[in-house]
Amino acid sequence: MKNFTHIDAQSIEHTIPLLDYYARPLAGGTDLIPLMREGVWQPDRLVNLKPLADLHFLREAGDGLHIGALTTLDELDRSPLVRERYQALAEAAHSAASPQLRNMATLGGNLLQQVRCWYYRGPFNCWMKGGDHCPARSGENEHHAVFDQSPCVAVYPSDPPAALITLDASIRIVGPDGARSVKVADFLAPPDELHRVMHGLGLNELITEIVVPHTTARSLYLKAMDRAVWAYALVSVAVAGEVANGTITNPRIVLGAVANVPVRLGAVEALIDGQLLTDELIKEAGTMATHGMEPLAHNHYKLPLARNLVRQALRDLTGQRM
Amino acid sequence: MPKLIKSEINVEGRITEEYAVVDGDELAAWGENEELAIVGQPAPRIDGAAKTTGEARFSYDVQLPGMLYAKVLRSPHPNARVLRVDASRAEQLPGVVVVLTHETAPDIKVREGKLPLLPEDARFAGELVAAVAATDPDIAADALALIEVEYETLPFITDFTLALEGSAPKVRPNGNVVSQPSVTERGDLKAGLAVADVRVELTVRTPTAVHNALETHGCVAAWEGDQLTMYESSQHVYGVRTFAAKKLGLPVSKVRAIGTYMGGGFGAKFPGQPYSMVAATLAKRSRRPVHLMYDREGENLESGYRGASVQHVKLGAKRDGSLTAIELDGLTECGSYANWVVSLGGPYAMMYTCPNVKLTTTGVHTNIGPFQAFRAPGFVEGMVGLEQGMDLLAEKLGMDPLELRRRNLAKLDQSEDKPFSSFPVEECYRRGAEAIGWNKRKPTNDQSRSSERLRRGTGMASQIWWGGGGPPAYAEVQLNGDGTATVLTGAQDLGTGARTIFAQVAAEELGLELGSVGVTIGDTYAGPFGPASGGSVTTGSMTPAVRSAANDLRVQLCSIVAQLEDVPEEELEVRGGTVYRRDTPVSSVKSIMRKLGDVMLIGKGSRGPNPSDVSVVTSGAQFAEVEVDTVTGRVRVIKIVAAHDSGRIVNPQTFTSQIQGGIIQGLGLALTEQRVIDHRAGQILNPNLEWYKLPTVADIPEIVNLLIDIPDTKANSLGSKGAGEPGIIPTAAAIANAVANALGVRIFELPITPARVLEALETIA
Ligand SMILES: Cc1cc2nc3c(=O)[nH]c(=O)nc-3n(C[C@H](O)[C@H](O)[C@H](O)COP(=O)(O)OP(=O)(O)OC[C@H]3O[C@@H](n4cnc5c(N)ncnc54)[C@H](O)[C@@H]3O)c2cc1C
Ligand code: SF4
Repeated sequence: MKNFTHIDAQSIEHTIPLLDYYARPLAGGTDLIPLMREGVWQPDRLVNLKPLADLHFLREAGDGLHIGALTTLDELDRSPLVRERYQALAEAAHSAASPQLRNMATLGGNLLQQVRCWYYRGPFNCWMKGGDHCPARSGENEHHAVFDQSPCVAVYPSDPPAALITLDASIRIVGPDGARSVKVADFLAPPDELHRVMHGLGLNELITEIVVPHTTARSLYLKAMDRAVWAYALVSVAVAGEVANGTITNPRIVLGAVANVPVRLGAVEALIDGQLLTDELIKEAGTMATHGMEPLAHNHYKLPLARNLVRQALRDLTGQRM
Repeated sequence: MPKLIKSEINVEGRITEEYAVVDGDELAAWGENEELAIVGQPAPRIDGAAKTTGEARFSYDVQLPGMLYAKVLRSPHPNARVLRVDASRAEQLPGVVVVLTHETAPDIKVREGKLPLLPEDARFAGELVAAVAATDPDIAADALALIEVEYETLPFITDFTLALEGSAPKVRPNGNVVSQPSVTERGDLKAGLAVADVRVELTVRTPTAVHNALETHGCVAAWEGDQLTMYESSQHVYGVRTFAAKKLGLPVSKVRAIGTYMGGGFGAKFPGQPYSMVAATLAKRSRRPVHLMYDREGENLESGYRGASVQHVKLGAKRDGSLTAIELDGLTECGSYANWVVSLGGPYAMMYTCPNVKLTTTGVHTNIGPFQAFRAPGFVEGMVGLEQGMDLLAEKLGMDPLELRRRNLAKLDQSEDKPFSSFPVEECYRRGAEAIGWNKRKPTNDQSRSSERLRRGTGMASQIWWGGGGPPAYAEVQLNGDGTATVLTGAQDLGTGARTIFAQVAAEELGLELGSVGVTIGDTYAGPFGPASGGSVTTGSMTPAVRSAANDLRVQLCSIVAQLEDVPEEELEVRGGTVYRRDTPVSSVKSIMRKLGDVMLIGKGSRGPNPSDVSVVTSGAQFAEVEVDTVTGRVRVIKIVAAHDSGRIVNPQTFTSQIQGGIIQGLGLALTEQRVIDHRAGQILNPNLEWYKLPTVADIPEIVNLLIDIPDTKANSLGSKGAGEPGIIPTAAAIANAVANALGVRIFELPITPARVLEALETIA
């Protein structure tokens, strides 16, 4: 690992000018430090954000839930407020990683987690790392994308952001030119030639908080894994909607681990909005969820899995048990 | 008088015949109704507190004054010639003390007894190319990056299923078949298939599974003058001594090997691997102790695995179920180096009666690190093929799968035409079936049309393995001035509880309390020779030696008391720490020893010969209940019932731990664990615990371990056999059969991942 210096941040304002390609902010370190060990990233300096108390809070205000960027996944999972009103977020946080990691991992860092693709994390100079091709596309791609969104077929790995998108959350960002706010759904974007990351944060910007608007909708998060716990999603789904007498309104459905970004299923939402969720409609919704998916050689299973999870999520949301 | 004999040595199924010196007059075995106070009782590990508090010092923890840390440079290429190594920049890095490359390495032959320590031909990505010893592990790691190596890259093959094709690059000059295929044949296979009323044919695949012991491979090497001490995480401490002495040209008396505590081996930590000689060389050149322990990646790239297998199986049977033919044509992945090939055919040859058998296992070289024995090598994989075949046969015959097995159970060891010393599989079947509720099992075909989300299934599989142990194995027991005793042996405790059961056996034989017996283990300077802990032999080999030594000591003690108190020796007996004359207490052992001051009584013992007229095996069965989630495709194991014959159970607590550990590893093979290789690049994609998925605590089911506990009085003086391997042998097969029962469709390739379950469900939807 390359040598680096480590300094404690004093304030948000003091931190911004320090940041650039070679000086990165450090939160829980659960992704940044392994990337440095593997030599994928080699910053000269880390600016430790943890002393910044004004990034570490969880409170409800008039416009909704405000989550400081340093809030840990464990805090989200354990918060009675989040558990009761923003269930999908609590469930997604709970489903991530292991208890030890959730104690360290922050929501801000989670939004920026780099892909877990085993080529990216191994001895391959793949496209995402600045190389010129993607060995996963025709290689061992059982954990990869079923939507073709960029030269890279890695899936966006984090769980909570899919829940945040169904809850219509925004991110507050501070940079040299002041603060801005962006929807999580817009913040996450497939990489392109010049911008080989899956998010839109500038090198000299900080995430300060995540805001989830008030909602009366019910929501939930389902995650399929290949063992009981401590695994990335094979496919996941976050759903939200208002349910009364078996009828759903304002549904929002987002699939995780199928593309470079969480995928919102607008057509499925339109199909069921305002409808009585009959068994037939739920089946149709599941089938429609896989439209446009183009599996690679080793991930065909993601189609039936996405279909099944969407159906199950709608059944669970409306309290129907199969 | 000592007696010289020839004895079969069985290490993980590799059988050789060697000399052994044993006691002239062996103790009679403890009988079935022997009243024992300590042996047979559950006892927590005597080293449990040391381990849980972190006091126990593993090889990794060894810290010596002036010690250096070593790191190794690995070839990034699956097949390459090292043309040039320039270590000058690394050598100049402050803190670097020695750099070893193929040019500067000593002439020590390691792999297959003939290959150089740091080879110029790197035959797998991960092969050792250079090593650095520095004052700090980070400096050593930085130094590796400064070593410049020029490689000539060569064609490679990493897919063992393609390595036998004519166009495949040759991994070794003689090609990609490892020596001769191992063939077991009896009767006439063709005729056996021809007379069968029912035949089944199947192809089964098992994945590459990595041991991933919690403690990685490695050692600390320290010289004092011309004397070497090796602290090695090893399954054979005495073997470390022999290997080091031989390779370094030292008298055996100048080498001390120590392995006091160990974080698991599972078959991958037998002596003879290059790193220990790298460490010894670095230590010699630097004149400082050297700590060389692998990281998790090194563990996955170089340190062994259970090779993947492909098994083409044909079974034939009469209408009444009796087997007429078994054919196996199997391939096993061996990687770049191999001294031997596992036998996939073991269970096919041994478990059931069948007159016509032909079993072929071909070992295949690839440009991947070498395989190593892994907990019942060959037998775990073989059972997956055999027992799925038996279930298919039962379905075709319309017979209960357990009944089919009952009808075919072996009646004797068919390879040697000898009866078994003990083979209570019927009893294991009966008790296991009762505990799992076998009679409530639904027929397999009923479930394929079910619309239930969660589908339950039950399956079972049988187990056979050796595990009786044998000579040579030695122990000493000393009686100290305060009436406590110390067992001394150079055998090792891999974490199995061997230390604890040695204390139990000594305490029992000596008539002392368990708490008065200490055990010094895993040090060639402290105790006599103990065998390699592999093939589940430690209990069967060592406990009779410990008993024999304790008996020798007890006889001496009684003789001393007879002289001291002027009483007839034959009337004396020791119980609960007190010497009795008939039923009257004479004196406590403690006060006798106090009286004697610095006198030390030393008992010596050895393992007696194995019986020649019977074959000693362990046997049993496991039953699995699973629940398959048809939405996510995930298989959850709900319950495993295990019923294994390991003869007399010395300690039900440590015995059950062994069975549980085997089941958990078997469950991993069945459901989650598999190495993934990009064959185009020749690289392992998951040399880590993120993508090599071990089962987590949440994946572990309820495990019911039934204690069969029938002393095998013909096997040895304890009547005990091993338990390390039996527990893993049937697990994956039983789970595969349970999943097939749940789904009504069979998945012939392990692990049974959600992807495979979902794909299988799509085919029947
Ligand atoms: C073994 C393992 C398993 C895991 N499993 C899962 C899983 O199942 N699901 C899941 O969702 N995640 C999983 N994770 C990922 C984990 O949740 C993330 O690593 C974690 O959330 C990152 O948060 P952190 O605070 O540790 O970030 P860090 O590692 O500190 O930072 C990550 C990145 O974010 C940047 N950064 C951090 N905070 C800010 C900020 N406020 N403003 C600007 N930039 C910032 C850093 O500079 C760095 O680039 C797993 C991780 C591991 C190691
Ligand atoms: S999927 Fe993306 S991260 Fe993975 S190898 Fe391809 S480009 Fe690299």
